[in-house]
Amino acid sequence: MKALEIQNITKTYQMASVEVHALRGVSLEIKDNEYIAIMGPSGSGKSTMMNVIGCLDTPTSGNYLLEGEDVSHMGDDQLAEIRNRKIGFVFQTFNLIPRSNVLHNVELPLIYGGMSASKRRELAEAAIERVGLSDRADHKPNELSGGQRQRVAIARALVNNPSIILADEPTGNLDSATGEEIMQILNELHNAGNTIILVTHENEIADHAHRIVRLRDGMIESDEVTK
Amino acid sequence: MRRLVYETSEAMKIALSAIWANKARGVLTTLGIVIGIVAVVATMTAANGLENSFKESISAVGSDVVYVSRMPWIIMDDFFKYRNRQPLTLKDAKKLETRLASARAINPTTSTRRDIRYRSAKMEGVRAVGTTDKHIMVTTALPEYGRFLNSIDVQYKRNVCVIGKEIQEKLFKDINPLNKKIRIGRYNYRVVGVMEKQGSAGFFNGPNFDRQVFVPITSFMKNYGSRNRDFDIAVKAPSQEAMVDFEYAVIGEMRNIRKLRPTEDDNFSVNQMTTLMNAYDNVMGNMVLIGLLITSVSLFIGGIGVMNIMFVSVTERTREIGIRKAIGAKKRAILIQFLFEASVVCLIGGTLGVLASIGVTELINAFFLPASLSPGIVVVALVVSAATGIIAGFIPAVKAARLNPIEALRYE
Repeated sequence: MKALEIQNITKTYQMASVEVHALRGVSLEIKDNEYIAIMGPSGSGKSTMMNVIGCLDTPTSGNYLLEGEDVSHMGDDQLAEIRNRKIGFVFQTFNLIPRSNVLHNVELPLIYGGMSASKRRELAEAAIERVGLSDRADHKPNELSGGQRQRVAIARALVNNPSIILADEPTGNLDSATGEEIMQILNELHNAGNTIILVTHENEIADHAHRIVRLRDGMIESDEVTK
Repeated sequence: MRRLVYETSEAMKIALSAIWANKARGVLTTLGIVIGIVAVVATMTAANGLENSFKESISAVGSDVVYVSRMPWIIMDDFFKYRNRQPLTLKDAKKLETRLASARAINPTTSTRRDIRYRSAKMEGVRAVGTTDKHIMVTTALPEYGRFLNSIDVQYKRNVCVIGKEIQEKLFKDINPLNKKIRIGRYNYRVVGVMEKQGSAGFFNGPNFDRQVFVPITSFMKNYGSRNRDFDIAVKAPSQEAMVDFEYAVIGEMRNIRKLRPTEDDNFSVNQMTTLMNAYDNVMGNMVLIGLLITSVSLFIGGIGVMNIMFVSVTERTREIGIRKAIGAKKRAILIQFLFEASVVCLIGGTLGVLASIGVTELINAFFLPASLSPGIVVVALVVSAATGIIAGFIPAVKAARLNPIEALRYE
């Protein structure tokens, strides 16, 4: 089964009077339960690629099929719904809601998905347990270490059982030991059957993936299976 | 539908925690709304008080009584149309009584202004009213103590009088006025009763019912003369419901009595309580509207304060909005969140404003008017404050809902 399929997409930004071609015709297929790293130097189109894959943005041209559903021409609210159901985000800066405790942060996607309170709690607690933070469920993000915060973010990303988990520089704000712990969790998720897309510029991090796609100047430079 | 419920309850939690997180700011913003609501509520309460006090003061008129007079009570058009009318006579009253069998009571009155004295105390220009024992049947006012005039007083032209509350207070102070002799003009009268307080319509330039003295109509005419006296004839309708028909019956009989041809205009006027109420509504309705308009300005300014703070709140939480959108919040969810925050601030302000208004109402009550804070006003105040929040929060909330998640997430 294909998790997603990108067909010849381009993305052009209008910056003042200059057109910036961030993606110039990229095609990519990712299967279920793949563990793929997208790499590239800054300016390579890496962030744009991740925004498109994460349904935060739509391509200027080309098609994007997510689990067979064409999401390349959807409106804001439809995209929000797709993100809610099919994508779990893990960001470099964790991006937790500061005033809410761990449980509530993890429940949030389910709230916007319209799930009942009891079901929500059950799923959120299970997700928190998977990242090993059950004893911290009622803590606020500012009471947690960086590694713990990123684990909360991972729990939030997997709580709605998404088609893909999209991790954007997940270890970028962590020391290497903690970063390694986070990568272990992602490895476990992959072993448990999740599709994981890593966006990174660090080779060490990318080495965890089984396939590495390198971008340069808005095009795919190389696409190799490493494991 | 279920999703909307969860989004709304989430919005409520966020709103409360956001307000709680910025207490000082919340207090200052709320203060603007509190002041606005107090101003608006105080205006409404004062208007309410004015109306109560006016109604109280004209209650003596009696709502089921038609007054036949030479002049209309309130002249809205040309005074000269009425000045050549013939006075109403006691004979007119008698004829009306025989013709209108359905009337429950008919009472003619006439009045003059005289100085009155008790020993060295003196009041100038008091309205002396010549009336009959039927007077208390056509008005709601009763004697506070003593008695009203009776038929024997009228029949035998006795020099007895019933005084208004203000006269008792000013002439007698602590002395019991019953059976004391007072001078009304050049004649002595014995006080047999004191009327209960009726309140003053002074602000409306209307009659002050507490500053009058009642004497038998017969002794009135003997002492102060009967030539060219103009009488008012109070006619009590068989029932409140029959008032409209009854008014036409009275007009019809009066036209017969005065021998008017069908083409001629009435040369008398028929007044009733609603005449006064309508005049009051005409004048006060506009004044209250202007008052509300002016006080709404302060609420409006409070609303601007809320809008301002909501813009700050949206900017501050741009990143949070980005996170929420990234994990699947739709525009609607973000919109509800900020509308809620604004309306909660305003509703808290409205509630505090209403509480403060209870105090203000007590003050108005103590020093000016019989004002009361009705449940209706409270509901209006709360609805208005919530509406202010929704209006003030709308533009900031739309701004938040439209944020691009990518830019919002990148916002520092």
